[in-house]
Amino acid sequence: MLEGCSTNAVVAKIHAIRGKMFKAENYRELMTRRSVSEAAEYLSRSARFRDVFGEADPNTVHRGFLEELLYRENFNTYIRLCRFQQLEGQPFYDFPVRRKEIQTILTVINDINSPMDSLSLNALPGYIIAHSRVKLMEVSTAKTYEELLKALKGTRYFKILSKIPPREDGSADYTECELRLRTNYYSDMLRRVREDLPGDSKHELEEMILRDIDGRNIINAYRMKAFFGFSAAEIKRRSLNFSCIGKKRMEKIYECESAEDMLEMIGGTVYGRGITGSGSIETAVYSEKYRYLCSKLAGATSAPVALYAFVELCETDVSNIVHIIEGIRYGANPAVIESQLIML
Amino acid sequence: MAIEKMALVNIVGMKNELNEALVKCCESGCFHIEPAFRTSNGSVVHMLSEKNPYSSTLKEFSNLASALGIVLKETVSDKYDDYAPEDFAELAAQINAEIDDLSVFRQETSKSISEMENTVAQVNHLKGMNSDFDRIFSCRHTAVRIGRLPVDNLQKLDYYEEIFFFVPFEMGKDFCWGMYFCPKSDSELVDDIFSSMYFERIHIPSSVRGNPDEALVRLGDMIKEKKQSLEECEKSIKNLSDKYEEQIQQVFTKLKELNDIFDLRRNAGEIKGKFYLKGFIPEKDADRFEKLFAGLKTVSVVRMPPDADASCTPPTMLKNSWLARPFGMLVEMYGLPKYGGFNPTAFVALTYTLLFGIMFGDLGQGLLLFLGGLFVGKKVSRQAGGMVSRVGLSSMIFGTLYGSVFGYEELLDPVFESVGIDFLPLKVFKQSNFILITAVAIGVVLIFMSMLINIYIGFKEKNYEKAVFGNNGIAGLIFYGSVCAGVVGTVMLDMEIMSPPFVIFMIVIPALCVFCRVPLAAAVKFREWRLSEDGEKMTVGNFIVENFFEMFEYVLSYVSNTMSFLRVGGFVLSHAGMMLVVMTLMDMCSAAAQPFVLVLGNLFVMAIEGMIVAIQIIRLEFYEIFSRFYEGDGKAFEPVSVSFSSQTD
Repeated sequence: MLEGCSTNAVVAKIHAIRGKMFKAENYRELMTRRSVSEAAEYLSRSARFRDVFGEADPNTVHRGFLEELLYRENFNTYIRLCRFQQLEGQPFYDFPVRRKEIQTILTVINDINSPMDSLSLNALPGYIIAHSRVKLMEVSTAKTYEELLKALKGTRYFKILSKIPPREDGSADYTECELRLRTNYYSDMLRRVREDLPGDSKHELEEMILRDIDGRNIINAYRMKAFFGFSAAEIKRRSLNFSCIGKKRMEKIYECESAEDMLEMIGGTVYGRGITGSGSIETAVYSEKYRYLCSKLAGATSAPVALYAFVELCETDVSNIVHIIEGIRYGANPAVIESQLIML
Repeated sequence: MAIEKMALVNIVGMKNELNEALVKCCESGCFHIEPAFRTSNGSVVHMLSEKNPYSSTLKEFSNLASALGIVLKETVSDKYDDYAPEDFAELAAQINAEIDDLSVFRQETSKSISEMENTVAQVNHLKGMNSDFDRIFSCRHTAVRIGRLPVDNLQKLDYYEEIFFFVPFEMGKDFCWGMYFCPKSDSELVDDIFSSMYFERIHIPSSVRGNPDEALVRLGDMIKEKKQSLEECEKSIKNLSDKYEEQIQQVFTKLKELNDIFDLRRNAGEIKGKFYLKGFIPEKDADRFEKLFAGLKTVSVVRMPPDADASCTPPTMLKNSWLARPFGMLVEMYGLPKYGGFNPTAFVALTYTLLFGIMFGDLGQGLLLFLGGLFVGKKVSRQAGGMVSRVGLSSMIFGTLYGSVFGYEELLDPVFESVGIDFLPLKVFKQSNFILITAVAIGVVLIFMSMLINIYIGFKEKNYEKAVFGNNGIAGLIFYGSVCAGVVGTVMLDMEIMSPPFVIFMIVIPALCVFCRVPLAAAVKFREWRLSEDGEKMTVGNFIVENFFEMFEYVLSYVSNTMSFLRVGGFVLSHAGMMLVVMTLMDMCSAAAQPFVLVLGNLFVMAIEGMIVAIQIIRLEFYEIFSRFYEGDGKAFEPVSVSFSSQTD
């Protein structure tokens, strides 16, 4: 089914939009702005985000709303691309929606577990609601785990979460929920790719997804070792059970005695090329992922490969911008902000 | 046709005369300054790190001029020659004191008008409200907020349990305008909820009363009132502007000059209380330059050869004849030759003019170009005008050979007949093969000439790889010439030229020389056999693979560069073709419209084709010709000067 969709038109369109994405010099120019409104004004003049603001005034726009506008633009770009090729709602191509759904559910679980009286509905991005098959607003108003399960009834997530029993106080095991939701998401993605895509696209996409998983596992493993001193078995239990570089190799990373050893071993993998003594592991691993996706997108000729890499790069692009805006807001040193950006 | 000879000059003197020395440098108009604190011999020359005392006052005067609506222009400013930085600052403070109050009033009133106009825009969105602002805001137990909510978030409102209701008035593409009501006791919580949904609250001024329609009328009156007082304020400012304009113009001119000269001090060095400047001057101006400093007591100028200081590269100033000078802009566009290198301007002038004439040959259009060039040269740009007039002349000459006048291809036939020249004019469409072959032949000649220039430059630089063994050296020249001769002799002249000795000695051996150019050049230069010039280890296998692909590229470039000149012939045909279209269109029109079609058609062809031809020749010059011998890695000669500008940074 997907073979027919791997046409060049959407790939060409993606390459055209990719040309407008922010580059290192754009980030640097943005970093020189002294206030959020100046940053918004700069963004409103950029080719990539020129149309994002609409009726919103860059001079007075709220920082949170500005960030939402940027993420919304990413989402709308993805929707436009899908509509262009009539891919909307097709399996596999709904992966950004599924990610947002999982993110929303995890936010709700977090809020349920939190002693603070916060409501997830406030943080729910309005633009996602119409595109999701899950009743996100009902989900976001859940105050206990039971209410959450009730709101999720009839969706794929109910089956996954209903297997996790709630705690006595009505809260839920966040780590377990996250692990199961993500495991389901990735296994479903991999299954679709293996079943529906032809030769080269299948291998490329499979590698991209598995590398994404490895990156996530590596960062989590390092955090668990460095900050909580977890054992190899505990780390393995909390990690996603897929790997691109091989499960045995990942296990060897988990088995490291100390965080330093782990860092050294990660440095020997494809994900740790950029690890230095001073920078954070997150920046190094994500920067490597960014470079990899850039090269994949540059050579992509099939729609699913190009779209997947493009969506990931757009997310990184906006998260970099959001990071810069945060930095500007708190008057951080531009050199420090730059060192934390994910770029080539 | 060469490069102007330069002299390196060092200027040394006591620091109190540095400003005067810099003024003299600017006045000379021929001093290319170099950073003096950078030296090759490691001597201790410190950078002068001083704060420019004029920059802040200059900005102040610029602000004053802008506040008073004065357009800054250069004027005589001798009156302020003796002013110190503090005197200028005092003057600025005096004028500022007078306009400060008015300026603040103007700013505040403008701001207030802008706010009220903004409120009008917002109240306009609330027209659907139909309620009295006074009544709404006087509620004792209910909090009311007016503003706009992102449309995306409207759907979330129903899911909140808190007591509030939102009344929409107007729905835009991104925002919904409206107001929400909630109990005053819950207002903090509800405000937080709305704030999390990015509700943008509008603060209606307390002066706004009644329903929106009444409020709009009242706001209109208030804006009118404010605008009147703003007008009066502007009048007072105008009076002040008339009073101070002359003074501000003079002071700004002087300050700008002093500021820019002071900025030049950043290039000066300092040694034991003395300043040190260095730079280049054209050798021909050296005596005049030295004389300028005669009046300065402590300043001495030392002239040296241009290569005396290894820390600075001499700049390049092209020395061209009157005929070739306008084409210098093309050479500058590509990059200037390095000092002491080869100046290709004359070659470019000759080839550009020739190729343009061939490709755009029309006596009438050439004449218009020539006249246009003269006009542009006088009124707009001397260089551009000079180029256009020269190519116009060439176009006229070739137009005469083609017998083409404004597209009339037979107009000159009687003239040639009466003179008795029967092979002219050239009939483009009848002799298209001849034209295309001639175009390629011109290309071969030009490539040959480029190679000869490269050989000359190579020997001059003692670069034997470039001169003898390279693809554009003697070996390349013999290879290319032999292949061309072989092809022409065999295909066109039916001659048995490709005999085994010819192929071996004139094609294979030169090709092998090009293939082994690096080891051969190293053998000549270092008297030893090595596969790479820089002594890096290279296996024979790597050498063969690398050079095989390079040879392949060279051969490909010989062929493609030669065939590239086909475009010259192509444009001859295209020009005639376009004019034929104009003539056909003219024939289709009524007699009254024919002159218009003729004029418009000629103008259209001149504009479009003239531009394309000009660009295509630049392409031929840069890619096919320059790439064989020229490296534009020189530094432009830029004499220091102080020029007036109303910009302060």
